[in-house]
Amino acid sequence: MARFTRTTKKLAQRIDLQYFKRSSPFRRWRFLLSVGLTALAVVWLAWQTLARNNRAYSSGQMATAHSLLATQCAACHVSRTGVFREHATNQACLECHDGPLHHANQVFAPDCASCHVEHRGPVRLAATSDTNCTQCHGSLQAKGGSFSFAVDRNIEGFHSRHPEFAALRSGKGDSGTIRLNHSVHLRKLRVSPNGPEEIQLDCDDCHRTPGDKRPWRFGETSSGRDEAQLRTTAMEKPDPLRPNPTRAYMAPINYSKHCAACHLLQFDTKKRFTEGVPHGKQPREIHEFLMNKYQGHIANHPADLRTIPMPDQNLTGKPASPLAQNLSPPQWVDEQVAEAEKILWRKTCNQCHTLSFPKGASLPEVAPPNIPVKWMLHAAFDHNAHRMMTCTSCHAGATTSQLTSDVLLPGIQNCRQCHRPVLDAAESRCFECHTYHDWSKEKPVKGRFTSQELLHGIATFPQPRDAEPGQR
Amino acid sequence: MLIDETHKKWRDFSLVFLLVATAFYCWYPMRPPQGRNGGSAVGIAFGIIGSAFMVFAGLLGARKKFPVWRLGPAQTWMRGHLWLGLLSLPLILFHGAFRFGGTLTTVLMVLLVIVIVSGVFGAVLQHYMPRMMTREVPLETIFEQIDSVRAQLLEEADKSVAAVCGPLGVMAVGSRKLPAGGYSERGGATPAAAAAATPALALTEEDSAPLRSFYLRQMRPHLEKPGAGDHPLADPGKASGIFEELRKRVPPMVQETVEDLEDICEEERQLRRQARLHHWLHGWLLLHIPVSLALLVLGAVHAYKALRF
Repeated sequence: MARFTRTTKKLAQRIDLQYFKRSSPFRRWRFLLSVGLTALAVVWLAWQTLARNNRAYSSGQMATAHSLLATQCAACHVSRTGVFREHATNQACLECHDGPLHHANQVFAPDCASCHVEHRGPVRLAATSDTNCTQCHGSLQAKGGSFSFAVDRNIEGFHSRHPEFAALRSGKGDSGTIRLNHSVHLRKLRVSPNGPEEIQLDCDDCHRTPGDKRPWRFGETSSGRDEAQLRTTAMEKPDPLRPNPTRAYMAPINYSKHCAACHLLQFDTKKRFTEGVPHGKQPREIHEFLMNKYQGHIANHPADLRTIPMPDQNLTGKPASPLAQNLSPPQWVDEQVAEAEKILWRKTCNQCHTLSFPKGASLPEVAPPNIPVKWMLHAAFDHNAHRMMTCTSCHAGATTSQLTSDVLLPGIQNCRQCHRPVLDAAESRCFECHTYHDWSKEKPVKGRFTSQELLHGIATFPQPRDAEPGQR
Repeated sequence: MLIDETHKKWRDFSLVFLLVATAFYCWYPMRPPQGRNGGSAVGIAFGIIGSAFMVFAGLLGARKKFPVWRLGPAQTWMRGHLWLGLLSLPLILFHGAFRFGGTLTTVLMVLLVIVIVSGVFGAVLQHYMPRMMTREVPLETIFEQIDSVRAQLLEEADKSVAAVCGPLGVMAVGSRKLPAGGYSERGGATPAAAAAATPALALTEEDSAPLRSFYLRQMRPHLEKPGAGDHPLADPGKASGIFEELRKRVPPMVQETVEDLEDICEEERQLRRQARLHHWLHGWLLLHIPVSLALLVLGAVHAYKALRF
């Protein structure tokens, strides 16, 4: 081992006291790298500016619907003289989108960008956060304090304090007047339209969306009337939630498709006619139909005027009429029509329809069917999106329901099984079922840009018009 | 800088600040509908505080440029640099809601991560290595003077050997280009003196041959080119054996000269060790400082653009 003969003094004497005044390689490199890297950053920014490329400053990728505008910052970020900020304004959105107001009684209308947040990547801008809705519906206030919601004024989300669906919550039951026993129809039946054979009806033998074009097992082939009916009759006003519901909702039950094969509307006990009474007519029209039928028949079969009552058929206990009775054609027709109407009003029609007999009236009144097509009036549902599931997995009560008043709409807990606010679950945010904008009030937007302008940029985007009252 | 109990206040403050900021970050998306967002009021607040911490950390360099200014102790600035600079990372992550955003913001996040990681790496080195250097390099000198000291060691060795062996017939140290640091004014050695010195001890050529041969063939090349790490004299074990062998081959009267040469070799090894440790101890600054400057410049541009758009 070496002996150390160097004292601190000797070592210190070696040092050049002016050393710090001279540059060292380490300091030189540190300086050069600092200046070089900073200069590189500045040059890059200058290059972006000279190339008029503002994408570098973007806070994130645009949504898929706006990807064409990724390089057209000025389309949304409108510059105004004397104003520093160039935030995307509502007016810029309204250039291309009409945003109908949500509710006439709402306390305030949020800015477009506060719900539809851009620069978050290729996302659906309609997929808004629940807090957009709960900022009002978490503690609902309304102009003038008048509420149309009696229960659900403090909703925090689908999984928190969302009330049960209105149809189940009210306890009023199904408003439909058509008598139907689901339980009977879903058991094995001994008679089919083709004769005595055992059949098992399925839900989709009666319930299908209008867009389902498969032939009916026991009914007429679809003629496209369902769609028209769904749009014009059942949904009298345009659906603000779904513009094209042909596969979303079940078509209304139709007698000719779903009932006629088994439930014949026969009216003549002697089976002199192969056809039944027409469906969908009022009693007055049925009466006229019967009159015409029997008048035509007696004109062709005058021998039927002589009626010989059979004693063993008289179960009333009243004295028997003379053995032979000669009737005039009008008398015969009246008698036959009365007999047919007795069958219709008491049995055939009455089996499904609700009939009432006002005092003094010769004909009954038929209650309107009132079959709800859409159970959730403020929300959207899509049967097509759930087509991989069995009907009874949601409508479990259908197999045991015996009363028309039974509401077979599944409850909110049934939906919450799948629609949960966790990963690997179906969407549970508000927008999945509800829509903020009332699209039934949508106004047309007049386009202003050519495709070339959108693709290659526009020197100056037009100044947006002011928002009209009632938009957003 | 040693991270010890003197950092307790800064550490506790940073932990409490981080906890409060984290709680705020978890809470605030319940308020604005768009959730966590750098453009929301809370998001901007996170950005401003994080940027302020970064600027403060960056001002340490300016503070060092003006050591006489009454701006508080340099150690306080260094502690603030360490802890507030470290805090800036979570605050900026909260500001961006853990999203990198567009090109500029992605570049900024990458730069910030580089700055923080290199800073933490440097802080760990600065915590452990000074003690290691004190232990392993007792003859430590000023890093910038290492080349100068090495030249003086060579000169000293030349002089010692020439004193017993006579002129060495090698190029005098003074005829070479001097290192940037130059020689000590007070050290006073004339560069060419050693190689041309008159021997103080008159050894015969035969007696001086082993020492002369060893010095000229092994030791002097090692001192001239100290970077060659595979030289036997660069290894303490091998060097000890070589000098032990040399002692057996030289007359007793030059044993002291051999010991001087061994001391010089030991000091040379320590200088090598010091240079290597110094590169570790300060090399990270070549990344940390330039990237920090670029981060501050680009961050200012980002703030301007974000507030405007």
